[in-house]
Order: sequence, then C-alpha cells, then structure tokens
Amino acid sequence: MSFRNSLRHQEQRTSDDSRRKGPSRWSHCRKRGADGSLRPHDADPSVLDDGDRDQPRHADSRPASFTTPESDGPLPRCADWGSEVEKDELRTDVRRDMQSSDSRDSPIPTEMETDEAVLMRRQKQINYGKNTIAYDRYIREVPKHLRQPGVHPRTPNKFKKYSRRSWDQQIKLWRVKLHAWDPPAQEGSDLQAIEEIDLDDIMETESGASSSTESGTSSHYLKVVKAPSSTPEDSCSGTPNKVMRIGSEIEGSFDLEACLNEVKENGNWLTS
Amino acid sequence: MENSGKEEYKIQSFDIETQQLLKTALKEPSTVDLEKVANVIVDQSLKDQVFSKEAGRICYTIVQAEAKQNNANVFRRNLLNRLQQEFKNREETRGRSLQEWVCYVTFICNVFDYLKVNNMPMMALVHPVYDCLFRLGQPDSLQNEEEVDCLVLQLHRIGDQLEKMNVQRMDELFFLLRDGFLLQEGLGSLARLLLLEVLEFRAGGWRLSDTAQKYYYSEVSD
Repeated sequence: MSFRNSLRHQEQRTSDDSRRKGPSRWSHCRKRGADGSLRPHDADPSVLDDGDRDQPRHADSRPASFTTPESDGPLPRCADWGSEVEKDELRTDVRRDMQSSDSRDSPIPTEMETDEAVLMRRQKQINYGKNTIAYDRYIREVPKHLRQPGVHPRTPNKFKKYSRRSWDQQIKLWRVKLHAWDPPAQEGSDLQAIEEIDLDDIMETESGASSSTESGTSSHYLKVVKAPSSTPEDSCSGTPNKVMRIGSEIEGSFDLEACLNEVKENGNWLTS
Repeated sequence: MENSGKEEYKIQSFDIETQQLLKTALKEPSTVDLEKVANVIVDQSLKDQVFSKEAGRICYTIVQAEAKQNNANVFRRNLLNRLQQEFKNREETRGRSLQEWVCYVTFICNVFDYLKVNNMPMMALVHPVYDCLFRLGQPDSLQNEEEVDCLVLQLHRIGDQLEKMNVQRMDELFFLLRDGFLLQEGLGSLARLLLLEVLEFRAGGWRLSDTAQKYYYSEVSD
C-alpha cells in the first residue's frame, strides 16, 4: 500500500537519466573502471543503488516515475532514500535562491534561466567548486567588497541564460582560477579515499572539445574529493574533504582516466 | 558536561566504546566511520524503545556537525539507506518481533521529525511513514495494544507535519481509523480509547480541546 491514486505513469526516464545520478551511481555508469579497462555493459538504468553495497533489488511493478500531490511535476523514481534527499535538498536550495532578492547580479526577469533541471545541474557544479579548500581559503582571504573583476574568481550566475557549452566553460575557468588559492604544495600529502567526481557529468568533455583554455595552466591539477558513502575497512575511516594532488601534466582536455590511473599507482583506494 | 550529554541523547544504554564513538561523531564526524555510526544507531533503535523515541535528535546533531565541518552528508546518506533497508523488510520484522517493528516505526517517525532539509521535512520519508501508519491501522495490528499505542503516539508527534505534506493520505488513514474504531470486533477498550482520542485530536486541528484533555488525561496528570 504505497503510492496512491495520484500516481500517473509517465515516460520521462530518458530525460531524467542524467539527473538521477547521485554520487553512488557513478561507478555503475562509468564505461571504464578505475584501471582504465572497459566495464562489461550491464547497466540497468533503473539501478540507483550504491555499487559497494549488495542490496537486493526490490522487485516490484511500481511506475518508473510518478506525480505526487506535493510535487509540481513528474518525479523520477529514486530507489535510494539517501540520493533522493540529496536531490530534494538541491532542489530546495535552488528554489530558495530563486526567491532570494540578491539583485546585485540579477538577470532581467524575462531572460532568466528557470528550468529547474538546468538550475540543479548548475548548482551541483557550483557546489563542487565551493566545496574545496581553495574556495574556503579564497573567501576568507578576499572579502566580497575587495574583489576585483577579472582578478578575483567569481561564481558564475546560474540564473543567467547561457548555452550549455558556455556555462561549462565558465565553470571550468572559475575552477581553474580558484586554484590560485590552493594550499601550499605538499608532495605525498595524506592521500585518503576518494570518490570519483564524474567530471563527464559536470562538463561536456567531448574529447578535445571546449578546453583550449586549459592549455598552459598549472601542471598539477588539484582535485577536491568528497567522502565516499562507504569506506572499506582497510582504508581511512574518516570522511574529510581532502585536496589531492595529482602529478600529471594536463594539457588540453582534462583526462580523468589518467588522473585516476596516477592515483592508483600511488596505492590509493578507489571506489570501483 | 559528560552526563548531560548522555542524558540528552540517551546513550547510556550503549557500551563505553560505543558511547565514545557517538560522542566523537557528535563533535568531529569526519574523524569516524559514519557508516558504522549509522548502523549502531539504527540497531539500537530497533532494540531499545526509549532510545528509538529520541534517537532522531542525535542523528540531527551529527548531520549538522558533518555539514558544518566539511559540507558532507555521509552520515545522513548511510542512515537513510539503512532505514530504507529496514523499511523493505518491515513485514518480516513485524512477524518476527512486534517490539522491533514498533521501535522501527517510532524511530523513522522520530527521524522524520528531526531531520529537516532546508527546514522542510524530508519528502522521501513521507510515503514510507504513511505506509507504516497504515500498517498499524490494519485490523490485525489494532488488536495489539502496543501497535495502537505506537500509532497514536506518532500521530501526536508528527501528525500535523505529515498532513501538511500529504493531506489525502492522512484523510485515508483516518477513514481507516474510524472504521477500526466502529467496526472492529474484539478491540480492547484501551485501543478504543486511544483511537477515539486521536480522532478528536485531529478533528481539533492536532490539538485536544480543554474538555477533551480533561476527559482523557485528568486522572493521569498530577
């Protein structure tokens, strides 16, 4: 006796696939494993479980998406409460931002981005950038009123209309600029368990595309890692935000695989 | 300070090592295994009725601490997914132990009460909580005082919030409760009293009128 008469069977899964992914989903959907080898393709798009846990799938015939009285549109069905709540949080964050009257940089109302899916995706990208030690140091060092355009990185405004490529470009540039506030270099610093940040998801990394701006930038690409949802016993038990230094030359497009290979060579544990 | 911590979160029932783990989780969540912490809390909630009524609070504190310390949600995610697992197995749990089932419902409602997302209850829990309450309102459950007691307790604690999230299901739940009250054979008098009280409680906008309060509780209060 779960979902009620208000359920309507909707065929919205294709457009929602990209949205439904949470951190624990990435390992399932990646074409390659951490060692670079191709995964066998057994992707079940409706599987949203954490790959590390073998949860028995609950076989039921519930619709793939549904509309509930309190939502104002079809919702894809998240099988995983953890991810669902995270998404809920993202959505309410975005909605709250929309209502916030921070008019310093408000776009003209008629030209505002209002598509919730787009806003959520953009917010997620922004969150990745803000969730870094570099960003922390930056905002502490340079208060808002002292920021100079051009000199100091500025968070892209998710409410402005931009094409996908343009937006992804802005995010990349912003994140690159933030590296100037990375903590002082420490080779071999604490490398703790990382969770793959699926940059393919965040940015359109068509091979070789839209990344001419990266050339010539720092040879060390710093990646901030968020805590994994479950840690194996032999790795760290903590879940800190860590900045990890990957010592690979980055030229042109960002090669996630190379970074991960590099990490693996350093004897790190990776989610698989 | 130590004791008030124990008192507030009711962690006296844990062994010393676990108490230490929880205390650390409350202050520095990133330094402990949060999956383990989540499991410890859920396991205890299923066994200990007193704990299950208040465990939401300790969960809330850990979630806040983790968000503040490093902007992460590991504990919350683990907690919710474990709750989900138990939810899927609830019928089996109920068959095995009424006490455990009742503890589970108490706990998930407590989590619903405490763990908010941007000051709103977690939408993901709305239907599962309703599902649990509907189960408690079934004829076989109404025969058991502890299940009826659990049902009315939860409605007192979170009924109004739950109703705001989904009025329709609350209406339907109360159809069920009225039916149970009126038609159920073999319903104990205590069960009938509890049901009547909760019917009046909701009818009064989730509060009991003074006269009703007097009727139901005058012999209980000092």
